Amino acid sequence: MILLFLENFKISLSAVFANKIRSILTALGIIIGILSVTLMGTLISGLDRSFESSMSWLGKDILYVSRYEWFSDMDWWEVRNRPKMLPEYVGKIKERSNYAMAVAPVMQRGASLSYEDKETRTEIFGTNEEYMATISTDIEHGRFFTRNEDRSGSRVVVIGNGISEAFFGDQDPIGQYIKIDKMKFRVIGVLEKQGKFLGLFSVDKQAILPFGAYKRIFSRRGWMRLSVKVPPDKLEEGLDEITSVMRHIRGLRPNEKNDFAINQTKAFEKQYTTLKIAIGGTGLFITLLSLVVGGIGIMNIMFVSVKERTREIGVRKAIGATSGMIMGQFLMEAVTICLFAGSIGIFLAYIISFFINMFFPSTLPFGLSIAAMLMSMIVGVVSGLIPSYRAAKLDPIDSLRYE
Amino acid sequence: MALISLKKIYKIYNVGGEEVRALDGIDLDIQENDYLAIMGPSGSGKSTLMNMIGCLDTPTSGLYEFEGEMVQVMDDSQLASIRNRKIGFVFQTFNLLPKATAQHNVEIPLVYANIRKSQRIEMASKALESVGLSDRAHHRPNELSGGQRQRVAIARALVNDPSIILADEPTGNLDSKSGHEIMNILDELHNRGNTIILVTHEDDIAQHAHRVIRLFDGKITEDEELKSS
Repeated sequence: MILLFLENFKISLSAVFANKIRSILTALGIIIGILSVTLMGTLISGLDRSFESSMSWLGKDILYVSRYEWFSDMDWWEVRNRPKMLPEYVGKIKERSNYAMAVAPVMQRGASLSYEDKETRTEIFGTNEEYMATISTDIEHGRFFTRNEDRSGSRVVVIGNGISEAFFGDQDPIGQYIKIDKMKFRVIGVLEKQGKFLGLFSVDKQAILPFGAYKRIFSRRGWMRLSVKVPPDKLEEGLDEITSVMRHIRGLRPNEKNDFAINQTKAFEKQYTTLKIAIGGTGLFITLLSLVVGGIGIMNIMFVSVKERTREIGVRKAIGATSGMIMGQFLMEAVTICLFAGSIGIFLAYIISFFINMFFPSTLPFGLSIAAMLMSMIVGVVSGLIPSYRAAKLDPIDSLRYE
Repeated sequence: MALISLKKIYKIYNVGGEEVRALDGIDLDIQENDYLAIMGPSGSGKSTLMNMIGCLDTPTSGLYEFEGEMVQVMDDSQLASIRNRKIGFVFQTFNLLPKATAQHNVEIPLVYANIRKSQRIEMASKALESVGLSDRAHHRPNELSGGQRQRVAIARALVNDPSIILADEPTGNLDSKSGHEIMNILDELHNRGNTIILVTHEDDIAQHAHRVIRLFDGKITEDEELKSS
């Protein structure tokens, strides 16, 4: 059987190479099909990974308590009338909750940062000393501010890696003074490099101030949220508890609706999954269609090949080939073209994804190239099936007479 | 026991609602090492009979025993196996694979017989040697003369050591000199113990055979012993 397999492989190679132009044109359909399927898969997996890393920045075990739901179809007026978040909630939550491991108030606004003659606009955050527990980023060097610095309104700042690079380059930023909206702040720490969140804004371009100083200088009003860290294995319980603590703080009666929102990364994930299925599913469907078109091309050329070699089939049968052997020969030919085309497609996909990777995280996953190889094989078998069955069923006498 | 035994063989085609009896009750026994020529005008059923004997075709009715076994109950792979191991075909138009070398053409039956490559090469070389074509082993059919092509075809028919050579107008496409050479090879094969069955409409070719049957309208009209085998 192995002998026959090898022989069939040789026959199909010679058949493929005997009609080079025809084989290449036919293979082109499969090449394009495999190329688009793998590229689509590459993009989706790239999207997945950038989403994953963005989500890990948010933290799966963090509850974001704020006035608004991240994704909601609630009426705007209903949400607008909700009471604001207040700094004193931090203490109240810590007092009443068993699960809250860290509670950080976060206020945020745009501001202008400058050092010597360099200036940039960025987001500044005002928070307390527990903030570090609610983000996945670490301090690269220096330190975070303390509870006392927060209370006393010290003008210290922890800056993102990008800002440190832009302002100080190789120079040590610790102890230097930068200006935030014309106010001088002393740099005490630099965050690790993070990359972009969902590819949208750079997390590395932020500045974190103690809540005390932030409130005094920048804003008494403004938009605030609370980040509450709960044990990773107690997400549900934590959510329930914080919800009831918040209801208690707000003095809600049992029949009243929540007038606050507790967001989790899950909400992002849900939104993302919907988006992924919509884009990825449609994309894959369309690219699979191109593979089907390629398969039809293979089928077509296999019919031609069978027709052309009718006499050869007759001879082979006369000298002892069974129908199964003939079928194997033509199936092998279809599969050979498809595998050949599939490898070229994957090779091209590797090269193209290498270039795309410069703009958007995308590398062709190894599993996907294996899947693509399998796919081209399946296309070969499926599109070769009917032509080779027809070849196998040819009457030897008629085929020998065929001109 | 006869090597090949045909009893009341009918092959009936239905062409446009009309019944055509290509073989109309053939009774024929062929012994081992016979040298048989089947003659007859075109349309007399020679080729159909030939295909029947060669297990390429099955009768509409009648009994065909090959080495005592009933052919009509065999399935596709059993028939293929008989064609592969017991029978070698030689066609008027040679029917070599154009893209394969002489050597490879001769090897093909061995591939289907599942014989190892090293052994295949050896057997094919020997078969080519026996038809005097060792020096042409690596030529393709289009680089060979008609007579040489037919010799390759004979080598292919012989290579798996089949006892029976079925030759359908083997000299039909050849000049008389090449035709002569081919017939000499067939004569020699017969002398070596092979059974030769030859379809021809040329009398001088049929003279090589030891027994001649004549067909007309699907019936055997004459069965003549020329020389004793």
